[in-house]
Amino acid sequence: MARAAVGRGDKPRGYPETPVARRLRVLLALLGLALAAACQPREHTLTVAVALLPSELPGYREVVRGFEQESGWRVVVVPQQYADIRRALAAEAAAGSGTLDLVELDIYSLPAAAAHVAVLDEAALAAELPALAPVAVQAGRIDGLRFLPHRLTWQALLYNHAVLGAAPRSWDELLAVARAHRGGIGMKGARYEGLTCDVLPFVWAAGGRADAFDDAAARAAFRFLAELAPTLNPQSATFREASIAEAMARGEIVLHLNWPFAMSLFASQGLAPNPIRAAPLPAGPAGTATVLGGGYLAIPRGAPQASEALRLARYLLSERAQRHLHDRLGWFSARRDVVFGNGSGLLAGFAAMHDTVRARPARADYPRMSRLWQEAFRAVAFERADPDAALAAAARQWATEQARTPE
Amino acid sequence: MRRPQVWLLAPMVAVLALTLVYPMLYAVRLAFTDPLTGDFPSLANYAQLARDELFWRALRNNALLPAASVAVELVLGLALALFLSQRFPGRGALRVLVVVPFALPEIVVLTIMRYIFVPRGYANAALGALGLPALDWLVPGSALAWMTVVVVDAWHVTPVVFLILLAALAGIPEDIREAAQLDGAGPAARLWRITLPLLRPALLAALLLRGVDALRIFATPLVLTGVEGVPVLSSYAYHQWADYGNDAAAAAAAVTLAVISLALSVPLLRVRSET
Repeated sequence: MARAAVGRGDKPRGYPETPVARRLRVLLALLGLALAAACQPREHTLTVAVALLPSELPGYREVVRGFEQESGWRVVVVPQQYADIRRALAAEAAAGSGTLDLVELDIYSLPAAAAHVAVLDEAALAAELPALAPVAVQAGRIDGLRFLPHRLTWQALLYNHAVLGAAPRSWDELLAVARAHRGGIGMKGARYEGLTCDVLPFVWAAGGRADAFDDAAARAAFRFLAELAPTLNPQSATFREASIAEAMARGEIVLHLNWPFAMSLFASQGLAPNPIRAAPLPAGPAGTATVLGGGYLAIPRGAPQASEALRLARYLLSERAQRHLHDRLGWFSARRDVVFGNGSGLLAGFAAMHDTVRARPARADYPRMSRLWQEAFRAVAFERADPDAALAAAARQWATEQARTPE
Repeated sequence: MRRPQVWLLAPMVAVLALTLVYPMLYAVRLAFTDPLTGDFPSLANYAQLARDELFWRALRNNALLPAASVAVELVLGLALALFLSQRFPGRGALRVLVVVPFALPEIVVLTIMRYIFVPRGYANAALGALGLPALDWLVPGSALAWMTVVVVDAWHVTPVVFLILLAALAGIPEDIREAAQLDGAGPAARLWRITLPLLRPALLAALLLRGVDALRIFATPLVLTGVEGVPVLSSYAYHQWADYGNDAAAAAAAVTLAVISLALSVPLLRVRSET
């Protein structure tokens, strides 16, 4: 059979062409065509990288479909983790070009990512900006408006209602609970941003500022934390969002601060709203406050379709889209006209914190500042350092680093 | 070497240069670049590490953890190999059971172990059932957490040592042991004077293989105790990169680990080659 193929056609062949080889050639040609097609710039297509859970993707696609119908553009949603989006953005910025038209970044990484994204035209956003919470918009201004609040989140107090009966409402009550349930209170004490999100509410509740280590309010907050420290669960030194939630689910702790995802997790395990509930953070001498978190939209500097990406961002911030995201995915909206609908349910404690949300300093050196808060807290909580001395050391280190940083 | 053969090596050399040499050189450059001012060369990253108590704990653990873990693995691996080289019914099934921990994916093993050793985990439940008090197996910085990491790591990797030594035992001629037995040597004397000396190359191979490998211990302490519980240099470098986004400090820690690994590998390799 193989010999029969030899000599067929005009050209002499070195090897016989079998049917398999012929099919292989056709397959390779098709693959080549597919590759060539894939390398072509995609007309009327936007690529959006968003930090979505697999369960959130269908709901998000529904929202985006509305834009596709309105605009005639196709939107490719790439669900990724924030860290991966951040790295992809940095890589595209280094390369000078890329494929991402719109990205979602976590609020913590905005200062570091500012150089990689475009300044947005505020005039083009005149319809959307007034509808958004000013604190949320302000957090996106880093050398101009570069980031738009796609969704917000903040922490509340999660407590075991069956054990505690009621959530502590003040620092004194919190201390009483801690002493009555030694090891029952957990803090996210690992060396990462989550720890700063646990510490800053205490500093703010004492009347302090995120960028002042050594003022009277910060010292008051840290003296309180020093009183709390001996009663903390010993695993606090390594707790993070997920591990502290797991510890609460296992009943190892009865109270901690966490984001709304933890309540969804407890609800899926049949642990919320009973016995685990959410409540506002305990008030300090200057009231109560919680850290603003969430995802922000930005257009990469090298976005292939920047103007259309802005149109999509405006659509995603519209009342219709934000309401859909809130209703379908449970996202907290930055729009003031999208009412927080879970006020009486699982997330009641979060709803009650709505007006006390504060943004972390939007400055490029914030990660270093945050790290010093973490080091000061860990020194006080886990090494029993004097709170005033720990804060003074942080202030000195901050001053040294500031002096070394070029203008 | 003839010229055509040199050219055939070129693609592999290019790939290695691109994926291995360039990243290594880049990491070294990063480690000696001041992240604030961009100055090179600079020891700023090492000064930062020197101020960090966690780095010193990681450095100390990187010396002690592998030593303890490899010691446990060698003793256990040897005992298991000696036992399972004997002929008895069910030996095959037992050999398979011993190798199972190594066959399981590391992350699966560690996740299971974490559930075993958390405060309300299976280990404390078992202690409770026996009327014993619960233990804080994974409390950060504690000696017990350190030992838990050693035991879990050794349990997972002992099969490697076991397999090396079992193969070596099979290579020892039976007649040597029989001759010693006829000469009146007891089991302890046969082990000490016949088996262990003949196993020396295999023991050194196991020590070299596991010793170098153990220096880059990463997942076991990280999954069981987090970055801060029982830190090692690789988890510390990962922490600097992932939690602080501090590539330069991560590179400095990684370069430190590479230097330690090289410094310890060279004498081990020399002993091995002399053997």
